[in-house]
Amino acid sequence: MHEYEIKILQALKGKKELGFDDIVVMSGLPKDSAMWAIENLSQAKVVGVKRKGASEVALTQEGEKYVDGFPEERLLKEVFKSGKLDIRGIKDQIALAWAKKNAWIMIDGGMAVITQVGKEAAKEREYPARILLQKLASAGPGAGAVVQKNQQLIGVLAKRGLLTVRERSVIDSVAPLQDPARLLSSEKEAGIGTLTRDMIKSGAWRKERFRPYSINAPVEPLYPARLHPVREFINYVRQQWLEMGFVEIAGPIIEAAFWNFDALFSPQDHPTREMQDTFFLSNPRQISITDMEAVEEVRAMHELGWKEKWSENLAKEALLRTHVTALSARYMRKLANAVNENYPQKFFSVGSVFRNENLDYKHLAELHQYEGIIIGNNLTFANLIDSLKKFYAKLGFEDVKLRPSYFPFTEPSLEAYYYDEEHGDTIELAGAGIIRPEITKALGINRTVLAWGGGLERFMLSARMMGLDSIVTPYKNNVGWLRSRPNIKV
Amino acid sequence: MPIVAFSLKDLEREGYPKAALEELVPKLGIEIEGVDGDEVKLGFTPNRPDLLDFTGLIRAFDNFTGKRVPAEAQYRIKNEPALTIGVTQAVKKVRPYIAGIVARDVNLKGNRLKYMINFTDKFADTYGRRRKKLAIGIHHLEAIKGNLVYDAVSEGTITPLNEKEKMSFGEVMRETAKGQEYSHTITGSGGKGIKKGGKEAVYPYLKDDKKTIALIPIINSEQTRVKEDDTDIFVDITGTSANAVASSANLIACSLIDMGADIYPVNVLYAGSKGAWENPSLRYREMKVLLSGAERTLGVHISESSVIGVVNKMGYFASQYGKSVLLSVPPYRVDVIHKQDIIEDMAIGFGYDKIQPLPISGSSVGLSDDLIDLENRVALLMVGLGYTESINSMLTNETINFDDMVCKYDKSRYVSLADSKSLNISMLRTDLLPGLLQDLSISTNERMPQRLFEVGKVFNMADGKVTESVRLAFVSEHSKTNFGEAKSVVEAAVRNVIGDPFRIKEHKHPSYVDGRCAAVVVNDELVGIFGELHPAVLECFKLEEPAVACELTLVKEMKYEG
Repeated sequence: MHEYEIKILQALKGKKELGFDDIVVMSGLPKDSAMWAIENLSQAKVVGVKRKGASEVALTQEGEKYVDGFPEERLLKEVFKSGKLDIRGIKDQIALAWAKKNAWIMIDGGMAVITQVGKEAAKEREYPARILLQKLASAGPGAGAVVQKNQQLIGVLAKRGLLTVRERSVIDSVAPLQDPARLLSSEKEAGIGTLTRDMIKSGAWRKERFRPYSINAPVEPLYPARLHPVREFINYVRQQWLEMGFVEIAGPIIEAAFWNFDALFSPQDHPTREMQDTFFLSNPRQISITDMEAVEEVRAMHELGWKEKWSENLAKEALLRTHVTALSARYMRKLANAVNENYPQKFFSVGSVFRNENLDYKHLAELHQYEGIIIGNNLTFANLIDSLKKFYAKLGFEDVKLRPSYFPFTEPSLEAYYYDEEHGDTIELAGAGIIRPEITKALGINRTVLAWGGGLERFMLSARMMGLDSIVTPYKNNVGWLRSRPNIKV
Repeated sequence: MPIVAFSLKDLEREGYPKAALEELVPKLGIEIEGVDGDEVKLGFTPNRPDLLDFTGLIRAFDNFTGKRVPAEAQYRIKNEPALTIGVTQAVKKVRPYIAGIVARDVNLKGNRLKYMINFTDKFADTYGRRRKKLAIGIHHLEAIKGNLVYDAVSEGTITPLNEKEKMSFGEVMRETAKGQEYSHTITGSGGKGIKKGGKEAVYPYLKDDKKTIALIPIINSEQTRVKEDDTDIFVDITGTSANAVASSANLIACSLIDMGADIYPVNVLYAGSKGAWENPSLRYREMKVLLSGAERTLGVHISESSVIGVVNKMGYFASQYGKSVLLSVPPYRVDVIHKQDIIEDMAIGFGYDKIQPLPISGSSVGLSDDLIDLENRVALLMVGLGYTESINSMLTNETINFDDMVCKYDKSRYVSLADSKSLNISMLRTDLLPGLLQDLSISTNERMPQRLFEVGKVFNMADGKVTESVRLAFVSEHSKTNFGEAKSVVEAAVRNVIGDPFRIKEHKHPSYVDGRCAAVVVNDELVGIFGELHPAVLECFKLEEPAVACELTLVKEMKYEG
């Protein structure tokens, strides 16, 4: 018998029946442990358990919004102010329906007219539905008494999708089916329960038999502490680069537009530079560029290539990097000034990038990208394809397909994708290409630069790797999800 | 990426049923975005606006499949100009460039007119930067009386497309969907424009002898509306870049020629300057590419005997001279500027799927970044201590970062965003802990104890300079937690991560309970704070159990190479 079970039986000694809360107090066990032990004893038919239903009520997201006021209350306020309102002007149909249902208003000739009931309600401002919602919100889950008293209204609010009700059966009271005292004494007689240090030292265990435990009794679930799946993924991708002989680089997420856009031949009037896609900063507004030689080279590249005036001021604008290619640009520049390096040089990075987007279950403002570059003499598009295919094969994507594509900073460019036959799912893996000669020249490199990269979150969404339902899920960090999340299939 | 819808029936009629389409488009870098009934949506890369038009798309298909072989100077223009456009000083200051095309005997039947309009709209929205840099209008030629004047005024009238009554330009901008959508294009000359009637001439417009035919770049006149039975049309192309206007005129003229049209140039006369700007030019550019040069870039050997076939597939008329090939770039290829552009087309014509991968010779040694190694070490240590890792966004807002931590804040001390589409995002986090508490606040239904940590970057500012640092934070929430638990974990973490001798001293911080808050000091420098979280903080995050927490600096200031 487990020590918790013994503690429960001790509490039950001499009792016909005992309430669950009393058992918890008398046994000194945490609620979870007491429940577990009682269930064991009940399975072994040592005790009988009486159960009661309990409802757990939780507010939905919609419900949270209603805590500060229901739409019908707002409508009532408006109608109360003016006495009547043209119903064509009322956009919120929910508000209209409920105000009618509550008999606050009548519809008369296309007008919502306030009733006596409505006038009183508007003065009182004590809408029972809202008050209940507020109580539940502040009481948190399992606000037993509140729930008991308001069954009907809770039903209504649940139907409106403002709360969820979960019915659970919990232990109400426990009655011994066998005499606890006898069981406890036989416990002593029937052999070794818990093996002790004394028994081992004295060898007393040799003289007694071990009492068998019920191996089918349920045990408390354990949730190991874990690394975050995004870290696991990043490390998995890093490992492939490292094994292929790439050197890892890291850099700032706050960048001058110069490294994020200008050095990469992105024209200054390009739509992605506008606020809508890029997070520009208001503090600091600008980041200084110290490499004046690079500034002049980049200016020449732009004015020749785009036939438009290039502004150094725009290039200084501070922003959150939109791609890790900004970092690749910095490293190309760094290598331009290096001497006695052996080629090819290979670099990679995995890091956060930012997009000013409307957020929903499909869109995040912060994402992760990985990118690798190879700088060398006489490198070709065929070399790029070879490295890229080897990289994805190592990640588990054999037979990657290629198609022509376009990026402002590479030419020729390609896009690599993979068709997952098992799940009928096309996964866009990478954008790749040879960095445009204008760019390498402006950055002072007289060699060829091959580059490829992609988004990390795409992997996590793909059924082949993790099969997340939404990209937002891992970044919510709900403790329950972190404890029971799917594993990465690698 | 621009997406355009086409009818599968129309494509089939041209010889490209769905199966053929599916096989062909990836080879040209076009993506099938979706099929809905007879409609297929195709996604194009922004460098190939010529493909957005049905005629242009079929031309590319026909070239690629060999149905059509590019001939020398296929696209020709008639000699005699058909129209003249006078340009006033006023409009020069707000939207200076205009080109016109007169097309006769064009076939606009079936979906052709619809495709042409879809194309010009999409083109102006993407390449034309939502009509600011470039916009296109199509008119019925016969409805135009006399010659055209391109002018700007402070107010005027037009009968807009789909309307019966005349409206003032101001009304069009305020009351029509197009007016609202493209209001950003009407900017005037930045306050420096000439005045008419006391107001700046901000509206560019095009008129004939009798009426306004377009409020540019907003909407055309109902009076010059084109119908699919019309055969003669006039196209106006306006914008802020001469280069964009001229090359777009060429692109559109080529499509019209493929639709059977004869193209006549239009002369543009600028007030105060001699000579006319004549467009479209339909000029072919000659480019010579060495076969060895292409091979050096691509790593693919394209033989002297096969190269003409390869470039023909991409629409170039070409002749071969020994070890080089001389190509003539058709006027619709506005994207081809450098030799590298041709070389890329050679790769596409050759076929990406036929390129044999070539291994890179020479070995190199992989090396991981020190900082990321450190982060991984710390993360594993914290997992060992029973803490689960959380990764929160670096983007946050003042409420979570400061208010909920019951901390005051100073705008000059943190990094703020100029503009954000999301109300929940306005700054970069200055601490890790608020994110962790936010995580706990959505997890109150989960089993206790809850223990989370995060290793990550935070951003603070002083004297206008940003400091990026790397921190570790952890939090433990459960009914029996206390200062001692936090201290044990802090000591274990500092001992194993920082390693230097440290001491713990009393500290005050608004997020922690007074008398149960301490600082970690290494080499006389404060590197961390920990203790029991103040109930006011717990309340803000709606936590129902006590919690202890710590935030520890691992790297005070990140300095990057490169």
